This record gives sequence, structure tokens and C-alpha cells, in this order.
Amino acid sequence: MTTSTQVPWREQFVRGWGMAVGGPARVFTPTTAEQIADAFAEVQSKKGHIALRGSGCSYGDAALLRDGHVLDLSRMNKILAFDPTTGVARVEPGVTVRDLWRHSIRFGFWPKVVSGTAAVSMGGAAAMNIHGKNNFAVGSFGECVRAFTLLTPGGQLLRCTREQNADVFFAAISGFGMLGCFTELEIETKRVHSGRLRVWGIPARDLAHNLQILEDLKAEADYLVSWIDMHGKGVALGRGLMHRAEQFGPGEDPDGLRWCEPSLQDVPPRLFGVVPKGWLWPGMWTAVKLGQVPTINWAKYQAGFREAKKSPYLQSHGAFHFLLDYVPRWQWMTKPGGLIQFQPFVPKAHGERVLSTLIERCQQAGMVPYLGVLKRHRPDPFLMTHAVDGYSMAMDFCVSKNAARRQALWRLCQQLADIVLEAGGRFYYAKDAVLQASSFARIHGEPTVRTFAALKQRLDPERLLQTDLSVRMGV
Amino acid sequence: MPTRTGTCIVVGASSGIGLAVARRLALEGRKVAMLARRENELRAQVTLVNDAIGQTRAHAYVHDAADANAAEPLFAKIEQELGQVDELHFVAGVMPDVRPDEYDLAKDALQMQVNAVGCIAWVNAAARRFLPRKSGCIVGVTSVAQDRGRTGKPGYHASKAAMDTFLEAMRNRLWKHGVQVTTIRPGFVDTPMTAGLQLKGAISADKAAALILKARDRKKTIAYVPWKWRLIMFVIRNIPSFVFRRMTI
Repeated sequence: MTTSTQVPWREQFVRGWGMAVGGPARVFTPTTAEQIADAFAEVQSKKGHIALRGSGCSYGDAALLRDGHVLDLSRMNKILAFDPTTGVARVEPGVTVRDLWRHSIRFGFWPKVVSGTAAVSMGGAAAMNIHGKNNFAVGSFGECVRAFTLLTPGGQLLRCTREQNADVFFAAISGFGMLGCFTELEIETKRVHSGRLRVWGIPARDLAHNLQILEDLKAEADYLVSWIDMHGKGVALGRGLMHRAEQFGPGEDPDGLRWCEPSLQDVPPRLFGVVPKGWLWPGMWTAVKLGQVPTINWAKYQAGFREAKKSPYLQSHGAFHFLLDYVPRWQWMTKPGGLIQFQPFVPKAHGERVLSTLIERCQQAGMVPYLGVLKRHRPDPFLMTHAVDGYSMAMDFCVSKNAARRQALWRLCQQLADIVLEAGGRFYYAKDAVLQASSFARIHGEPTVRTFAALKQRLDPERLLQTDLSVRMGV
Repeated sequence: MPTRTGTCIVVGASSGIGLAVARRLALEGRKVAMLARRENELRAQVTLVNDAIGQTRAHAYVHDAADANAAEPLFAKIEQELGQVDELHFVAGVMPDVRPDEYDLAKDALQMQVNAVGCIAWVNAAARRFLPRKSGCIVGVTSVAQDRGRTGKPGYHASKAAMDTFLEAMRNRLWKHGVQVTTIRPGFVDTPMTAGLQLKGAISADKAAALILKARDRKKTIAYVPWKWRLIMFVIRNIPSFVFRRMTI
């Protein structure tokens, strides 16, 4: 294949969202599928490699390639069609969760699966097969993808559905951008009869209590997520605050109709209507540097009891889901080292034992995550999925600039990963920065890895698509 | 609270301010005829309103406001199907993109046809009925754009000014007979029509609808939405032309 035009690459430093990993790369921002094909062809002729990048919300190195090429798809952000009767949207890969719900909520539709930040792109969400606070009930993002068009490194446009090119459909979703670039996706959204949710805050004494609440409520609740105070010790180990949310049925919250409007769903931009939230991160940075995270967590846990008293309360969908958007640039509080997130998925039978061991190990090592988030999951049909019938616990660690401390954190996470893998657990590549190649087969099993390798060989024999993550995992 | 209990007509009810007004009227317990051009979107909105409330209060009528001759028969049809109408909200409006060097009659004529002639047709149809009944309320949503002709969208300004003046004349004709005519001049509102403009400090369409219904209840003649635009436009209206024509606003 020959290239007709020169692709305008620009030199840029590309980071993971956690700012702890990254490097210089040649970046190009295409606006059409033809431009993606041109970029593929040009890099292939130079025997180079390309990483695909959506909004860059992966915490680690899933959307970057140091000293390689990066395709930034954020400008392919058009909603091509939206059916106001069925709620099915046809979108380009750079359309964000926010773009989608701002469009769909006017018609009383909300995306079936959303992340904790609305900045995530549709292409990225499908490639990483992201999950939301309702994973136990509706599964992962892939389950609301009806069809997509995939541009393979060979320049072929493949339309994939559950029936047509099904093997590629189930592997490209969850395939972390290794098989091709999504150029168009069809996404299902769901009917909501109110722009608001009923939300309950439920304090949990310890980890066992947290897990018990998840089991008790998973049959009836629409959304469940628990914040965990990772500094809780002894009888308070794994204490936290569970949030449960439920949708309204027809006629249950008539006034919620007024909230079916984009500007009433956005997370409020100011604190108490005065202080722009963009100014809050320096305060949080100071708290982290002064070692006040345990105090803040304790206060948050205590505040949970007050929240429980006024439950259930009403909250817009946006305000409930997009906690990470409450404080813009909050990740800057971990500057200069940045942060990594470590999110193991543990089968139900081993949940309590493994998760409590993980928390204890962190506390013994003196590297306690400043944030922990517990969720309930169920398996899904995608080839490289992270989901298990069990629990996940996302742990956010501050990364030190000091090389020795940084290495110690990586070693700790690798030890934790061993504990998880022994219990038959899995990992989520949008969050990962520490796993080693030896873990890949242990996570997915030999047959799955072989199937994936065969697909990679078929669609991308020159191994054009590569990321720092895929190199690290030996894909 | 409104004293009226009859049917309401909202022209331009499938999105933006019109949709928000229709939703609030339905929440007040009124029967609402929702009129719009795009059938799919209109029907989806009507279904959403009725589902959310749990009762059938909204009814869809496909209508293109540019088709002024259709207003009179459609008004009659709505009264026949939903009962006597005592409140009309004309919120339909178009604002096509116009380049600074563009002089396109088609675009300007469309704006006059939808925004001005459409409004005139519906207000006439309402006035004809409300006058003998000596009751009823007509709300016309114009714009702060009507206060001054600016460079960006001449056709839009002219159409809104025509609408505004027509509403004033009708108010003077009808008010003494017990029919209320309220003109609403919204400032920046976050709607699909203004989506591309990145308006700073825009209020939500629901907030605009709340203020519009408040102005209706207080029997205002002209209401700026929100109120601060009365001050802003007072200043802008009083800028002399030899200064204004050199300005970029």
C-alpha cells in the first residue's frame, strides 16, 4: 500500500491519566477513517508501531507508546445518528460519555454503562470494555454495543455484530486496541423516566459488612458502589460507605422530568456556588503532602452516618455517576509523582480473604492507598474481559518521584497481584501499570491467549498496533 | 398558581425552551398540545412526558411553523380533540448559521416565515377565539436580539423584532378585553439552537421555562429572562448608532 499524503505527526509528551507513566511520541489527530488508514499505511511502511488513544483516561500505559506513534482519536467526536424512540446512537470513536448523555438525556435516555468520569471516549470504553457501578446487574460496556466498524491495520473495514464477524466482535471489545481501530459504533442507551435517582448512603463497619451489603442488595439495587477507608485497621479494616441508587419507574417522580435536560445533569462547577472547583486541587495536594489522608478518610466515614439519616435523597444521574469530575484536575494532588490505580477482580468465594489480605499488606508496607472503591461484578462474554463473578477493589496509590520508593510500590503491587492470581482473580488494563508478561496467561488462561494471538496474527500480522501495556504484557 | 385550567398549545415543543415550557405545563396538571416539525423527536418527547408523569397529559401534533396557513385549522382541530384552549405559547424559532459575508435570501426568508409569520398566524388564531371569551393568555418568546440589529444574524434580529412589535400591538388590542399577551425576551439559554455558540453564563432551558411561567402568572407585559438582561439591553439600546456600528458585539 502506498500513502498519497504525508501524515502531519507532531512531537508530544504523552502521559497516562495518572501522570506516573508516559513518554515522548509522534502524535496525529485524525478526523476521518481515511486519515486513520493513511496513518496506518505510513507507519507500516516504516515498520513502526502505533498506539490508539481516545480521551487518554486510562490510568496507566494502555493508550501510549513511548518513542512510537500515537493516534489521538478525540476529534472524531460526532454523534452520527440518534434514534429518539429506541435510544440507539451511532457514534464516532472519540465521542465521550458526556457527549452521549448530553444528547440522549433530552429524550429520556441514559447510557447503560458509564464510567466514574464522563470524559471517557466510546472507542476507549469499548476497547477496554469498561464497567460502571451497575456491572453486577447489566454487565460491561461491551454488552450495550450493538455493532461497530473496525479498521484493521491492513486497511480493511470490518463490520462486526454478535452475528457478523462475531469472533472479532467479542475480541475487539476488551481487546485493548490490539486488533484495529473503531471508526463507528452503535451504542444502546436505556430509558429513564426521571432525570434523577434515589440514593442511599449506607455506612459499612468493616470489609465483611461491605461485602454483605453488596450481596444483600445486588438483586434489587440498580447501582452499588462502596468507598473504602484504606486506613481502617483491626475491627475497622475495610470500613466504608456504600452508595446504592435506584431509578424511578413511570409516574414515580414526575418532577424528575425537568431534570431530563443536559445542563441540569452536569456536576456543579462551583463549591457552595462560589468557589470554582478547579481551584480545589492545591488544597487536596497540601492535605496529601501533610499526611492528612487518614484524618480526611475518618471524617468522610463519620459524615456517612449523617448521610444515612437523610437517605434516600435525590440526585441527578450526572451527579451520582461522575464523582471523578467533581473536582477538575484532582489527580494533580498527587503531583509531582502522579498516581497509579491497582484494581484486582477477585472471585466471590475468595473475596473477603483476598481483599482483607491486600489491605493488610499495604498497611504493613506503609504504602496505603489514599482511596479504595469496592464494586460487585458478573462475568461477560468478551474474550479478554476482566470481569469475574465476584468483587473488585480499586486502590489508588500516590507515586513517589524517588526511584527507590517508586520501585518499592511496583514490587508491592506485583506481590499483591500474585495473591490475586492465586485466587483465580483478574485485572483491568485501563487501570493497570504494574503487571508483568508472566501474568497474562494466568489471568486469561492459555486457550484464550492462543485465540487472541491467532486473531492478532490474522488482523495485524505486522504487529502495527502496540502500546506500552501490550509490550509489557508480551502480547 | 395559574387560574386557567384549559388546554395549552406550545408551538415548537420538541426541544429547547418550548420543550421545557411544555413539560412544566404538563407538571402543572394541564393538557398540553405539543407542536413541532420533527415527528420522531416530538413523539419521543410526548411519550417521555406522559411516562414520567404517569398520565396522558401531552399530545403530539406535527406542524411546521413555516406553514402559516395550517395554524387556523390546526387550532380548531386541537380545540375539538382536547377541549377549549386558553393558553398559547409560541416558542418556535430558527436561527441558521450566517457567515459575515453571506446575503442569503432563502435563510432570511425562512426566519421571517417561521419566527414572525408563524407567530402572527398562531396569535391571530388564538386572539380570534380568546377575544369573545374575554379570557386567555398568549405568551410569545422573542429574544434580546430584537432590541438592536447586530452584524451577526440580521435576519434573526429582524424576524424577532417583527414578532415583538406584533405581540405589542396585539397586547394593546386585547388586554382591555381580558386577554393577556406577554412577551418574553430570553438572553443566553442552553438549548440545541445555541449549542454551537458557547454562550457564557447561559441558564438552563428549564430555568428559562420557570421564569416564563412566573412572568405569565404575574401578568407581565414584557419579561427579560433572566432579569439581568433588562439592564444589559437598556445599555445596549442606548448606545448611539455612530458608536454601535463600530463595535463588534
